[in-house]
Amino acid sequence: RPHSRARHPGARTMLPLLLLLLATARALEKLPYTPTLASPSLGGLTTTSTFVLEQPRCVFGQHSDAVIWLVVAIPEAVPNFNNSVGPGTPERAFQGFPAAAPAYMTLNTTLLNYPCPAPTGEITVLRVGSETSCARDDTKPTCNGPLPSPGPYRVKFLALEGAEPVAETAWSEPITLRTAQPFGSIAATGGGHSPGMIALTAILSILFAILLAGLVAMVVFWSSDTYSGSSTFSKPEAVTVRRYNTHHVYDQPAARL
Amino acid sequence: MAKSDDGIRILQGLLVFGNVIIGMCGIALTAECIFFVSDPHGLYPLLEATENDDIYAAAWIGIFVGFALFALSILGIIGVIKANRTLLLVYLILMLITFAFEMASCITAATHRDFLTPNLFLKQMLERYKKSETDNNNDKWMTEGVTKTWDKLMLQNHCCGVRGPSDWQEYTSAFRLTYNDADFPWPHNCCVMDARGSPVNLDACKLGVPGYYNSNGCYDAISGPMNTHAWGVAWFGFAILCWTFCVLLGTMFYWSRIEY
Repeated sequence: RPHSRARHPGARTMLPLLLLLLATARALEKLPYTPTLASPSLGGLTTTSTFVLEQPRCVFGQHSDAVIWLVVAIPEAVPNFNNSVGPGTPERAFQGFPAAAPAYMTLNTTLLNYPCPAPTGEITVLRVGSETSCARDDTKPTCNGPLPSPGPYRVKFLALEGAEPVAETAWSEPITLRTAQPFGSIAATGGGHSPGMIALTAILSILFAILLAGLVAMVVFWSSDTYSGSSTFSKPEAVTVRRYNTHHVYDQPAARL
Repeated sequence: MAKSDDGIRILQGLLVFGNVIIGMCGIALTAECIFFVSDPHGLYPLLEATENDDIYAAAWIGIFVGFALFALSILGIIGVIKANRTLLLVYLILMLITFAFEMASCITAATHRDFLTPNLFLKQMLERYKKSETDNNNDKWMTEGVTKTWDKLMLQNHCCGVRGPSDWQEYTSAFRLTYNDADFPWPHNCCVMDARGSPVNLDACKLGVPGYYNSNGCYDAISGPMNTHAWGVAWFGFAILCWTFCVLLGTMFYWSRIEY
């Protein structure tokens, strides 16, 4: 039988060496980095279906050949998460998240895109949920699609060399997205009456009432005037009877009053 | 007699002066109300959509009242100089009618200004901005008006939403039904635009990077002109009416002193 004995002379030493290599290859480096949300100065840090993470710069220094993936999971999937399940499988497809696939992997990139150190003045962020075109496309299971519910979610970065996970970061704190209230709940009924408006209404009403009273008094006065027939003062252009005292009494034809 | 003669002359002079002021204020009121009705800031569609555009009705009344005040002041001057009781009685009655209309205009403007709160505009914006399915022609007209006005407001005043871009995140809206959240966390008119009218950096705008999107709200740009409009009509009208009150009282007194 051909394979009962090792054919090559150094096969006995090679077997333990192979096993050793296999063991080191399976060792997963756990990096101390925790993914966090980006700076709060960003207005769109969390929206109702996206959120923004800091890029993992200067984290995966030693694994220059690895492809770094972002894993997004619901908190219940974190304890039993299996790093060996590859991206693109139905268990890790975005389109099945969160019912069929409690975690999905997306935003794969090489370390070239995360150069170390990060240049100052540039915004180095990852927007999770920005790709809307592939959200329903089952042929693109690694789509970075918008998140279906406000969460919460936990994320981590995973470095894969080929199909082997070689390094991972810690899981992030739970990230909760915004919830939108229905606009019908806004109370848009009036703002009450300002004091200025009340004062204005009151004063104008009083003034108008006084004027009306004055007008009525005038009309009553007039009609009583015409009945009694006596006029009070003379019109300016009527001839006024002027009385002046003179000491010359010689010229007084009729007694003038 | 001489004393009362002088007194009458002074009263006549005062009344003529008072009527001249009324005439000039009438012209000013007409001009002011024409200015408001012409809607220089283009905010009328927002009011129209609230179905409560009474501050515009108040301005329209103001136009006609101003003109009436001018005409009646001329009648008053003639009546006072001629000391004609009939003319003055006609003047008084017509002035009282004009007073009543102007009073209505002032009270309407003041009352309806109180009605225009930020929440009112917020709800209207969320309900109507870029609404895609309209029920009838009236709804379509109002929706188009609101959409165009908001687009213009956001572009010209460099603002977003009523209180800020977060309005679009905090509440659902008709806009959200057509435009998904990932591509449009807020309308693209909230982005800082270049000279050709397209966003300087759309991704930065979607991220909310300060300097690439308008982070302040548009409420100041709306309430400023509306306050000027409402207070201009209400308080200037009030001032005219106070002056008119004094002149009318003086005229009544003068009327009672004329020999029939």
